[in-house]
Amino acid sequence: MLRAEALSFAYPGQATPYVFSFDALPGQITAISGASGSGKSTLLDQLAGFLAPVSGTLTLDGMDMLGLPPERRPVSLLLQSESLFEHLSAARNVALGLPARTPRAIIDQRVAQALAEVGLEEIGPQRAATLSGGQKQRVALARTLLRNRPVLLLDEPFSALDDDTRQTIRALVRTLTERQNWHTILVSHHQDDVAALASRRYQLADYRLTLKESR
Amino acid sequence: MTTLPQRPLRIAAAALLALSIAGLIAVVLYSIFATATGAASSASRLDIAHLVRMTTIQASLTTILSLLVGIALAWSLNRLRFPGRDLVVGLFSSAIVTPGMVVAFGLLTIWGRNGWINQAADVLTGHTIGNPAFGLSGILFAHVILDGAFAARILLARLDAIPQPRLKTGQSLALSARQRFAIIDWPAMAGTIPGLAAIIFLLAFTSFPIVLLLGGGPANQTLEVAIYAAVRQDFDLQGAVMLALTQIGVCSVVILGASALAPVPTSLGASIAPSWRDPFAARALQTVVLILCTLGFVLPLLTVLIGGFGAGIPPVVATASFWHATAASLVIGCVSALLTLALALILTLGRSATGNGAARTALGIPSYAYLAVPAVVLSLGFFLTVRNLGVAPAIAAPYVVILGNAMLSLPFAVATLGPPLDAIARSRGKLIRSLGLSGWRQFALVEYPLLGRDIGVALALAFCFSLGDLGVIALFGTQDFQTLPLLMFRALGAYRGNDAAAIAAILLVGTILAFVALPKLFERLAHVAR
Repeated sequence: MLRAEALSFAYPGQATPYVFSFDALPGQITAISGASGSGKSTLLDQLAGFLAPVSGTLTLDGMDMLGLPPERRPVSLLLQSESLFEHLSAARNVALGLPARTPRAIIDQRVAQALAEVGLEEIGPQRAATLSGGQKQRVALARTLLRNRPVLLLDEPFSALDDDTRQTIRALVRTLTERQNWHTILVSHHQDDVAALASRRYQLADYRLTLKESR
Repeated sequence: MTTLPQRPLRIAAAALLALSIAGLIAVVLYSIFATATGAASSASRLDIAHLVRMTTIQASLTTILSLLVGIALAWSLNRLRFPGRDLVVGLFSSAIVTPGMVVAFGLLTIWGRNGWINQAADVLTGHTIGNPAFGLSGILFAHVILDGAFAARILLARLDAIPQPRLKTGQSLALSARQRFAIIDWPAMAGTIPGLAAIIFLLAFTSFPIVLLLGGGPANQTLEVAIYAAVRQDFDLQGAVMLALTQIGVCSVVILGASALAPVPTSLGASIAPSWRDPFAARALQTVVLILCTLGFVLPLLTVLIGGFGAGIPPVVATASFWHATAASLVIGCVSALLTLALALILTLGRSATGNGAARTALGIPSYAYLAVPAVVLSLGFFLTVRNLGVAPAIAAPYVVILGNAMLSLPFAVATLGPPLDAIARSRGKLIRSLGLSGWRQFALVEYPLLGRDIGVALALAFCFSLGDLGVIALFGTQDFQTLPLLMFRALGAYRGNDAAAIAAILLVGTILAFVALPKLFERLAHVAR
């Protein structure tokens, strides 16, 4: 279980600090919703290691995560934009999910498998810049699959997508989360995304998280 | 595509100005071409092929070395965080306006025959190391100091503008320092490098004061210096014209080649992820690079200040010629800076009012004429034109120097004001349109408050270029009409090193003060206007 207990943070000049507490279970999607500026991205940045909390704890199955820098956290990120390096091919982007010294033959094989799992067998050699928004997110999910870190952080990942693509990607996220047993945290202000995916839903308001729903 | 309503007056004013500049350049070129008739016999005494070869070798080496230094320095500055970092970045930013003469003089003070290094070597070993500040090595060193710092500042802006989410993605993927450079940094810089290389090549190819001071003889002359020597020393006007035509031809080819490459993109705005530090080995390398580059840039300037503000100042400021030259420099600097700003605003406001690509190109090209017709060539053209009109060059000199300096600064002012004005047109165009703003109200309420600092930067660039210019004044200067750079050059020619040091120090302080103060001043003025 991913557990945050009284993770506290304040920007310079901010009188009231954020204090975040929540639990996220494996194989489930935990949604964090809230208005713009309520602190959703601040929370994600702390989970990913880009911001250091002033106090509190963050553990994964009892193991402390706060001491780890972003690159060593058991976390994968999927952002609204810039999840891919656009000048690289889709295949090279996916390959970044594997350790640096992986032999070429294994890279080719595993990248092809991962792309096939997200339904994009053909686009490996294509430059990421030429892909549609939905294809980019699926390629990023393929990379996440190869990294296979136990925590997946999703920061408004469906915001730029049309309705049909959105449903496809949602289904993919749900399937992968259940199959890989990931602790997926979805930050979104779109209620339909939250309703469609979340097993647990927290509301972020007044610098605090409140559990609103647990299925 | 702009969302601004069409502003026919702005576009018409810009078109008229662009036509006038094009006409002026045409007249200058016509004077050069007309004088070229029958120039073949005179030109045979000049080895133009050798000059072109040497200038090209020097400019190519400068370009390669400056880009390597610029990339390494930008990479280091982007990564390292330390107290005074902003000051160091500001120092490298000032490279664009630091007078070449001052840097050349600083190098002579350190590496020259009687420089610090030789004095120390003599004391320690009884031998000296010769005179590495003269010749190709000195020219390259001086060029790389200025152009490397210039390249670093441009490339640092690209690295600082890498979107934060891209850095977060890279960091969470645990990219190594090498992967980070290859996958994130290099693509951010790569699009800028062809255009930057072309600018550095042109700056080195047309370099005048540095080559004049450090060239050490005809073997390392550039075409610019050869033109100056043909006019002022050999009185070989036709030879100078042949050289000028060669210079224009080569520069035009480089510009045409460069324009086919990717354009320099505008900044996306700073977004640095301070938490992503490189491994120790990479940080150690960055620290070494930063220390070496800072020493290389700062040391020559420090020697100028230390040497200049010593015993040399009182005798210099006691002469009438110093005060005449100072007054001339300030008046020429202020008037040409204001003229540059006015011309640049007319052109860029006109350009931002139209989304038509052809019209934008037509309005922009004349302002970049300097890149093909550099200082000494422009000056030669003006010289021939006023002579053909029957006007004594001495009478026309102040006006020509002001106009010449304004023309030299115009491309930099247009490049400074153009992108923000285009951005305002894109981001605020709908609002301006819906509120019915136009003309002076549009400028005073929207454009001026948002442009403030950029106006100060454009003014500072133009003032500093003019203050440090030797190229235009070199052909028009007389004993009664001289600026500080010309006074310094003449002091050096008369072996009055202390006088030259004092003037160099004053020039350097004046340049840095203007470069720092003017943008801040206009930023405040614009803030008041908000």
